[in-house]
Amino acid sequence: MVEPLLEIRDLRTYFIGKDVEVRAVDGIDLTVYPRQIVCIVGESGSGKSITSLSIMRLLPQPRGKIVSGQITFGGQDLLKLTEDQMTDVRGNEISMIFQEPMTALNPVLTIGDQITEVLLRHRKLNRRQAISKAVEMLQFVGVPRAAEIVHEYPHQLSGGLRQRVMIAMAMVCEPKLLIADEPTTALDVTIQAQVLELMKKMRRDFHTAIILITHDLGVVADMADHVMVMYGGQIVESVNADDLFARPLHPYTKALMESIPSLIEEKDTLYSIPGTVPDAASFPTGCRFAQRCPLAQPSCFETAPELQQMGPGHLVRCDKVGREGEGVPM
Amino acid sequence: MGTYIVRRLLGMIPMLFLITVAVFLMMHAAPGNAFDAILNPGIKDMAALKQRLIESAGLNKPLWWQYGHWITQFVQGNWGYSFTQHQPVITLIGPALRNTLLLAVMAEIMILAIGIPVGILQARNPYGRFDYVISTFSFVLFSVPYFILAIFLIYFFAIDLGIFPAQGAVGTGPGAGSFVDHVDHAFLPALAIALVSTTVYSRYTRGSMLDVSRKDYVRTAYAKGLSGSLVFRKHVLRNAMIPIVTQFGYDIGGLVGGAVILEGLFSYQGMGLLTINAVNGRDYPVIMATSLLFAVGVLIGNLVADILYAVVDPRIRYN
Ligand SMILES: Nc1ncnc2c1ncn2[C@@H]1O[C@H](COP(=O)(O)OP(=O)(O)O)[C@@H](O)[C@H]1O
Ligand SMILES: [Mg+2]
Repeated sequence: MVEPLLEIRDLRTYFIGKDVEVRAVDGIDLTVYPRQIVCIVGESGSGKSITSLSIMRLLPQPRGKIVSGQITFGGQDLLKLTEDQMTDVRGNEISMIFQEPMTALNPVLTIGDQITEVLLRHRKLNRRQAISKAVEMLQFVGVPRAAEIVHEYPHQLSGGLRQRVMIAMAMVCEPKLLIADEPTTALDVTIQAQVLELMKKMRRDFHTAIILITHDLGVVADMADHVMVMYGGQIVESVNADDLFARPLHPYTKALMESIPSLIEEKDTLYSIPGTVPDAASFPTGCRFAQRCPLAQPSCFETAPELQQMGPGHLVRCDKVGREGEGVPM
Repeated sequence: MGTYIVRRLLGMIPMLFLITVAVFLMMHAAPGNAFDAILNPGIKDMAALKQRLIESAGLNKPLWWQYGHWITQFVQGNWGYSFTQHQPVITLIGPALRNTLLLAVMAEIMILAIGIPVGILQARNPYGRFDYVISTFSFVLFSVPYFILAIFLIYFFAIDLGIFPAQGAVGTGPGAGSFVDHVDHAFLPALAIALVSTTVYSRYTRGSMLDVSRKDYVRTAYAKGLSGSLVFRKHVLRNAMIPIVTQFGYDIGGLVGGAVILEGLFSYQGMGLLTINAVNGRDYPVIMATSLLFAVGVLIGNLVADILYAVVDPRIRYN
């Protein structure tokens, strides 16, 4: 039995203002094993980014607060660490890359400066050693002319190259966990495939576990071992990737799947789920998806469903779908 | 960079030429001339004397001739004689320019040394008590006109406390004319110029710091495990200073303008006072020389701003 690398229990992260309380993450459980790729999917606003920023303890201040829960990483509760101890974890044991490679790098520092900064913080290296390690890492992630690029500035590189630089920067201390928040959303399709390939290589060569956040089920199909579907700050379905695509159970998951543009039918327009995600400042009392749900019945608007076991390792938050093999209409 | 500076300096020449033409025309459009004011009943043949003076100054010649004469002499280094003070213009400008530069430099130091740190402290705890006090104080200060502020400073520092002189650029008695004496005399006018700009710079610094703190790359820096103070020094501060440094360069010209007004109030013998007196006395050669120097000051300020911008921001440097 392998020990989990990361275990999140009942995480709640709220934005607390004068007279509003935005429940961005509202009771999440998540387990990541070493070398596993876990994808978090869901529409924009469902709480994916805030989940990852909670793990890093880098919530937007002053209003973002983790109000309850545990985040156990490598045996210690990250929420109990001091800020000082937390800086030893960030960039070293858990790294993060962000969606916008255009703005995530500091425009006035060279690429070399920005990579060596991590090494100088977490490893006992001098500048020369750090630079050569940075060049080595850039070569590893497939940046051409690495020895020159360390002296260049972010604006001199393309978006794809910048995202490779971000990955090099995140991986240079060989963290046990990489959190990638929509790392390919801003990139065009061919570059996107290359970056995803690179992340698989990272997992293979560094044994890094990855939490990959995306709203693209195509990416999930390509990458995930395990998938968590998020909606309204909660998990609505959690299952291994094969089962998710073979037997999606939650109506929201099914709706997401129908919104994948089909290459065969040559549809130009993307089918999207009618309606919008509920406002995290005032969730309805019943099921948070009920308003948009094709299966919704009056009772759905009254009682909020619990996450239930619907098959081996298959959790679903819906009272209207039956267990696997019970002949529920799909 | 070297060729860029040379190119920019050469580019200033046509600009300065146009400015001299404009100043020349405005100057002559104003009624009267330098010799109208000579009213000495002791002189027997007033009209003939005036005529002689006007002719010797070339004021009876057509304007294009006068301008051509002035500019050909000027580029050869002959800046002419003052009509009213009977000294070469260069001799008058020397000490005045030195005094004004001292005043401007002191004001700039005060603005930067106070405005930027105050703005940084405000940004460390926005909407906190310090921020609130400074913002209120700035607002009050900002709404007080220059000259009221100057009068208040004179009253408080010079008359009440008696620690700084309120008049002139040099003192009398032992130590007069020394560097310390000059700094001592420049202090109050410099403070009067600086106070309002200081509030502008602190507000500007505060805004820029807060703006940069929200940038994605600052979050990236935290995600690397850097401490708050390192993120602040290496990532926030440096980026936040870019617009400030640039603004600083552009403000150099305006600062000299502020000096012109305040030099009068403090009877400070600088370029401003020299210019005001020259305008009143229709002292054409002096007006031409001082206004040209003011224009050079503004253009150099802009050039400095652009160079500083390139120094602090690699995105500009590489384009
Ligand atoms: N700084 C913030 N202040 C207040 N609410 C926020 C802030 N950031 C995010 N939220 C809210 O938290 C919820 C989840 O946001 P987020 O995690 O960014 O969604 P996702 O990444 O899935 O698109 C949203 O309702 C969003 O409006
Ligand atoms: Mg997001």
